Amino acid sequence: MRFFPLLAACFEKKLFIRERNGISRKDYMQKDHIRNFSIIAHIDHGKSTLADRLIEMTGTLSKREMEEQILDSMDLEKERGITIKDQAVQSIYQAKNGEDYMLNFIDTPGHVDFNYEVSRALAACEGALLVIDASQGIEAQTLANTYLALDNNLEIVPVINKIDLPSADPDKVRKEIEDVIGIDASEAVLCSAKTGEGVDDILEAIVERIPAPVCDDNKPLKALVFDSKFDSYKGVLLYLRVYDGTIRKGMKIEMMATGATYEVTEVGVFKPAPVNVDVLTAGEVGFLAAAIKTVGEARVGDTVTDAAHPADEPLPGYRKATPMVFCGLYPVENTDYDNLRDALEKLHLNDAALLFEPETSTALGFGFRCGFLGLLHMDVIKERLEREYKLDLITTAPNVVYQIDKTNGDIELVDNPSAFPDPTVIATVSEPYVTATIIVPKDYVGAVMELSQEKRGEYQNMTYLDEDRVMIHYSLPLSEIIYDYFDRLKSCSRGYASLDYELSGYKPSDLVKVDILLNGDPVDALSAIVHRENAQVQGRRLVERLRSLIPRQQFSIPVQAAIGNKVIAREDVAALRKDVLAKCYGGDITRKRKLLEKQKAGKKRMKQVGTVELPQEAFMAILSMDKKK
Amino acid sequence: MERWEQFQGVYVHTPFCLQKCLYCDFPSYAGFPDGVRQQYVGALCREIEVRSLQQELPVAKGATVYFGGGTPTVLTVEQIGKIVSTLKRCGWWNRPAEATIEANPGTVDAEKLKALREIGFDRISLGVQSLQDKELGALGRIHTAEQALCATEEAKQAGFRRINADLMSGIPCQTVESFRNTLTKILQLNLSHISAYSLILEEGTPLERLAREGKVQLPDEEASFNMYEMTTEVLAQAGLQRYEISNYAVPGKESVHNTVYWNYEPYAAFGAGACSFNGKERRTNTADVLQYIKGSANLSLAALKTDTGLWQTESPDRKTQISEAMIMGLRMTDGVNLQKMQQRFGIDILESYGKEIQILLDRKMAECGGGTLRLTPYGMRYGNRAFEAFI
Repeated sequence: MRFFPLLAACFEKKLFIRERNGISRKDYMQKDHIRNFSIIAHIDHGKSTLADRLIEMTGTLSKREMEEQILDSMDLEKERGITIKDQAVQSIYQAKNGEDYMLNFIDTPGHVDFNYEVSRALAACEGALLVIDASQGIEAQTLANTYLALDNNLEIVPVINKIDLPSADPDKVRKEIEDVIGIDASEAVLCSAKTGEGVDDILEAIVERIPAPVCDDNKPLKALVFDSKFDSYKGVLLYLRVYDGTIRKGMKIEMMATGATYEVTEVGVFKPAPVNVDVLTAGEVGFLAAAIKTVGEARVGDTVTDAAHPADEPLPGYRKATPMVFCGLYPVENTDYDNLRDALEKLHLNDAALLFEPETSTALGFGFRCGFLGLLHMDVIKERLEREYKLDLITTAPNVVYQIDKTNGDIELVDNPSAFPDPTVIATVSEPYVTATIIVPKDYVGAVMELSQEKRGEYQNMTYLDEDRVMIHYSLPLSEIIYDYFDRLKSCSRGYASLDYELSGYKPSDLVKVDILLNGDPVDALSAIVHRENAQVQGRRLVERLRSLIPRQQFSIPVQAAIGNKVIAREDVAALRKDVLAKCYGGDITRKRKLLEKQKAGKKRMKQVGTVELPQEAFMAILSMDKKK
Repeated sequence: MERWEQFQGVYVHTPFCLQKCLYCDFPSYAGFPDGVRQQYVGALCREIEVRSLQQELPVAKGATVYFGGGTPTVLTVEQIGKIVSTLKRCGWWNRPAEATIEANPGTVDAEKLKALREIGFDRISLGVQSLQDKELGALGRIHTAEQALCATEEAKQAGFRRINADLMSGIPCQTVESFRNTLTKILQLNLSHISAYSLILEEGTPLERLAREGKVQLPDEEASFNMYEMTTEVLAQAGLQRYEISNYAVPGKESVHNTVYWNYEPYAAFGAGACSFNGKERRTNTADVLQYIKGSANLSLAALKTDTGLWQTESPDRKTQISEAMIMGLRMTDGVNLQKMQQRFGIDILESYGKEIQILLDRKMAECGGGTLRLTPYGMRYGNRAFEAFI
């Protein structure tokens, strides 16, 4: 090209035209015309709608191409209205000053389980839009996410959304932002992502207020892997933020943490569909493929550098995501064990936070003990296994990781109730605690406190956000949170309370293992760890719940709860007296056979434990037993 | 020729009743005018004629005839006579080993019973259900206990030697004692056959809805079970042996026709909603009376081979046939003849279902011996669970 300057110029011009048609040519984008930003918000405050609108208004996708909430592409995300995996979208925006800017928008998950992913996304940005619902005001996750953004030194642009609602009160929200978060809200942008009002002001604010990246194309390559995704054709796709240097197809790269090297087969950006480009330059966000076989080889948080001219120092990485919630996953059909393992491996390719290791239960056979970031993460994984991999699964009740100090001085971490050691060798048991932030209208403070007290919470403090709303802090055992704290918090506050929490450390607790016996035989997968004071009540409720869940059989089934050898509660599943179709003649055969087939199919979803048939819900009984209260 | 290669029974359906019982989910309708019934009989005779030309399977010598419903006896003697003569003319009524007609005690008198006997029926099945008026009322029956007893007496006088009474247990207003009383009274009539059914609440029936809404009180599970157990015990004492889950007879007086179903043998069935089985294909006529009448008028030999909308067919595959044969056969106390299964389907049941059968044997739900597999009384109690082994 060097020898044909004219031709090259034509080429450039052509490419420039293509860029205006929505295909980027970033070689020509000055660094001060790049903006990398995230949107942070409490769930339901309109983050995804705003993202859709931004994409639409920058012309990245025409209105016709817009699919509602385009970024939430997983079915599950759409159904639940949440974002689980990060997405990164590039668009070109022509600002009012007449110049084109490259906007790289990195979407973040909105649920507390995925705070870890939020912090990863934020590390790749220079700024964040803090979206707050004009009628709801600040909620617990607004705060948590803002603190994460501040930790990452991001420029925060407050956006007050849903101003089209009759109940919108932007002034009050502005005051809350200043009082509670302590950032200047005088220039907060007012908008309605739904109607599109104010969205152009947001785009201008992004250009004007979020700093351009400080970077250099000529320094050795340094790019942060902020996410990864497995593609069955291309191998692992690395989502990157380039800090210095450039990445091109054909280049040899090195992962600084592992030292592994690869040849780049593709570089590209998301618009939001992946589009290949020639080069990713410093300050930009995009992806690369390099025939990387497993996510383990190219960890999220690692730094990509040029194998030929490596950088001296890697970028600061991330702390590793620590699973906080564990449960057993077992195939209903033992023959599905290998399929389950394959499916977990595949999911793990995209989700490093998912841990799993083989486990054997006397009741359930071969399965896996799996670790998750939280309950939602667990539900999502379970549903994906069932839907995408068509597996019939039994999930045991979730639990936290207990730390056990033994009398012999050993320390053991236990992530499975059935592995809880004999009480005689236990000196102390500690369990994880969280600091919970609850924001709630003041009328419900009493109810929230009562609930938190019941859940073994320790009150810490309370502040008034305004004359109506308060923020309460409680120290709570994580195990209580993962059971039904959130559901009950919602119901005791008529849906108004919001909750966020962060792990605060381990504290000793007087915990005991409650075993469940069916027909006199202990069923390991039904064991639960509970506080000694609650053991009696919990044991009773658990057997009551199990009695109602276990279908009646030809014989009566005693269901007992026991601590050690001591039975603390018992219920009996009464025997079914008869079960037979009284009438069957010539015309009935088809219908009666189908009836029996249906009945048999229902039983196939049950797990035979000894002589007892247990429905899948039985293993989660501990989660549903407080519902009627 | 093997039994399963010929029609062993002929069924004729009458989808009319004076009043629909609250528990009934059979194809049967109240309120059609006389004209429609007349047209129906014409349509029925046409189906009988046309299908005789089709020669699907030969009709076995002595094949049974069964007029069921609905209430066949809402038809006039002339109408019934016309159907029977059509059957005879077309070779379906061929010195039957048994010719049964169902009757509602509220629809017959001495004269009509006598006429039915003369037409050629030698067995009558009376829908007695209960001998307590309160219970009959709660089921929506049109007759009283007195009428039921009277009809039975008249049937005897008309010359019926083989009389069945249908009884029900677990019905509204019933107690263990009232049921015992019904059993005692019925036994005084010295009938040769009793069908005693535990009530099935069929979805979509008024009784099911009433029960679901708590508007009608049914005997509790314990009481229903006691009635079920009592039935076998009390009837056995009177010499009526259980030969199927809900059927009892003086030995030798079992229903030959119903045994055809339980033996999974071929039967031809005529009328709206009727279901035929030729050993391979099951054919179910439309249950819509008017559609049936219309469809029948268009019947021709050619149309029999194409879809006229008059019926739907289903061809259970071999495995399904085997499972159906087992489900039906195990309803009988004599059980399933394993050698016949081998001959008919080329299957060794004990080998193919070895694991499942072993569980049934271990749980004392089934017994095996003398070349048959049969359910024990305990196994019958949990029949559905036993049948599942073969699904």
